[in-house]
Amino acid sequence: MQQLQNPSSSESESVLKIQSWLVEQIADVLSLDPTTIDVKQPLTRYGLDSIDAVTLVGDLEDWLDLELPSTLLWDYPSIEKASAYMVEEFDVAVD
Amino acid sequence: MTLTQYQLAEQLEQALGNPQQAESLMSFQHTAELDEAEQFPHEEIAWLYNWGLQNYYIPTACSGKFTSFEEFVAFVRVLSRRDLNISIAFTTLFWSFLTWMAGSDAQKERLSHLMREEHTAMCLAYSEREHGSDLVGGSVTATKVDGGYLLNGEKWPINRATISGVTYVLARTDPEGGNRGLSLFMVEKDLLDAGQYYNLPKIKTHGIRAADMSGIGFSDCFIPDSMLLGKEGHGLELGLKGFQITRALCAAFSQGAADTTMRTTLNFAVHRKLYNKTVIDMPHARRTLSNAFIDMLICDCVNIGAARGFHVATDQFSVWSAVDKYFVPVTLEQVMKETSVVLGSRFYMRDEHDSGVFQKALRDSAIISMFDGSSVVNLHALILQRRQLAKARVRIRKKPEKLAAVQNRLAQSFSLAQPVPTFEPTKLELISRGADDLMQGIEGTIAKLEALHEPSESSLDSLRSDASTSDQTVISQVLELSRIILEELDAQDEQITQSAFEHGHDQSFESFELAKHYCRLHAAMACILMWLHNRELAELGDFFMKGEWLVVSLHRLLAHFRMTPLLSTGNLQASYHENVAQELLRLHKEDKMFSIVPFQLATPQPVASQSNGSHAGQSPSDQSQSNQPSTQEAISHATAPEPQLI
Repeated sequence: MQQLQNPSSSESESVLKIQSWLVEQIADVLSLDPTTIDVKQPLTRYGLDSIDAVTLVGDLEDWLDLELPSTLLWDYPSIEKASAYMVEEFDVAVD
Repeated sequence: MTLTQYQLAEQLEQALGNPQQAESLMSFQHTAELDEAEQFPHEEIAWLYNWGLQNYYIPTACSGKFTSFEEFVAFVRVLSRRDLNISIAFTTLFWSFLTWMAGSDAQKERLSHLMREEHTAMCLAYSEREHGSDLVGGSVTATKVDGGYLLNGEKWPINRATISGVTYVLARTDPEGGNRGLSLFMVEKDLLDAGQYYNLPKIKTHGIRAADMSGIGFSDCFIPDSMLLGKEGHGLELGLKGFQITRALCAAFSQGAADTTMRTTLNFAVHRKLYNKTVIDMPHARRTLSNAFIDMLICDCVNIGAARGFHVATDQFSVWSAVDKYFVPVTLEQVMKETSVVLGSRFYMRDEHDSGVFQKALRDSAIISMFDGSSVVNLHALILQRRQLAKARVRIRKKPEKLAAVQNRLAQSFSLAQPVPTFEPTKLELISRGADDLMQGIEGTIAKLEALHEPSESSLDSLRSDASTSDQTVISQVLELSRIILEELDAQDEQITQSAFEHGHDQSFESFELAKHYCRLHAAMACILMWLHNRELAELGDFFMKGEWLVVSLHRLLAHFRMTPLLSTGNLQASYHENVAQELLRLHKEDKMFSIVPFQLATPQPVASQSNGSHAGQSPSDQSQSNQPSTQEAISHATAPEPQLI
């Protein structure tokens, strides 16, 4: 499902795919309706605590087969910021 | 011959003298008096500074003498077997690792100077009355002002909050900053305006009654920028990584206490006669104590492995540390409870039988599984990583070069004769990314056992030649039991991978039970690895090398999972148990620590030669050792079982 540096996948498309993956995961983790999650809001606002955020980075690493900073969701605390950072800094491409 | 990493602890042991002698500095009698009076052990702590022990909390790169956590846990055990309160009060110095990990060169130099020259102590001010383990929810704030911050709020309950010179304070620097809104400060209290902070009263506690368990409050308290540790906003990350260090070290407190409760029970059991038999010759008492001894040896393998592994597999300590901090204190609490049955009513007495040290050690040690992250906190940390641990085991099977690296790291973590690399705290990680060498290396470890068992079919030539001297029966049993460990781990991994994963704090009761099982499997592997990598190390002696203890250890751990076939081979097991009991009695008789490592304890000395404090100011290496095999057994044991104040 996912590849790295796939030139056929545009950056913005990758950002959106990471966003929707995160929305799905967070909705699942916190038992929320995915449509209520705003990608611009800080994740702590939805009740995602510090260790959950680190665990979720582990899941992201599994999904993308890529090593990420474990504090990624602390440093980029909204879905929008985290997704943009991953594509920008790690050349993550998802198709 | 002693392994060099244990020499410092033996020197400290000899310098402190036999705690059963009332005249020794930290005798059971004296520390009981301090406990009864709830009086902080100022003199004893000062003695330790004068002896130079604080230097072993400071890395050599910061002008100290710390080189190895294996050495560190050994001397913490020496202190803890005498008095947990003194041991814990002095060992708050291990919070200095926060500075060694994240401090600037100037901060490191300053702290090193304070510890070495000013004999400064420190405390960790994270907890708050209303927030418990929820660090992010804390209310203490540090508001930025010109040149520094203003601290406001209270930290409680904090060990050594009052009697300490440096306080590590975790405070919120950004109200909207979430997990990056907390910062860590190394606050030197001498540099504060005394009117801007205050201490909270001593809290009365069940155990460690002589502790300075109190708190500290700040009212618009100015602290300069130079007290910020690491970057602003990085406090939570540093705090959590710091816990990985200290949690693994806490196990040594429990080990020291368990050594004492076992020793004082044996002082009773080898002499007490009931129904024309000594207590130790009664089957139930004998097996109870030999089982407790086995549990202590299992904890030894876990904690020594972890202490060494810290230097080798630093990035895996979110797992290793959680296992160690859960498994060792909880197991040893159970050991004490079971041992108390043999001691009978004396276990409950405050001034009888070795100055009532059993009940004191029991009370004092009850806090260990709670502080620096409770058992629940540690199991929770494991649960959150458990799915990744399972997945990573599957992934690594396809990567032979990574599996080979795991085996190399395990050899380094568990071969006591090998030096360990310098500890690099910057390698600590909040999660291990599924890595746990003990479990990822399980198939490789079994292959090594198979090579010992079937030398003719093995391709591992280096191990083949060793097999001729091995006890094939033991190897065959260890192999059988190790395959059960693998089956159980595979089954658990499968269950974890297939079940719905819960994040957060809504983990089920069953998840906690599975995490406890994981700890037991990890402990079982630690025992196998300790034996496998040291079975030819002559220093560890015949009992260790023969490996019967290992079979019994694995048996005990796996009994939590299923009845093993070996349980039915009664005669064989009976001889193993008896040999374990004999070893326990030998160590007791010779005043040796109850450990896989030969460790000579201080034997009683004539009163005239006692020289409390005479070592003050000398470096440990200047001091002569008197660790000859006990020639004072008659003195040492003749007075048991009744109130025994030599």
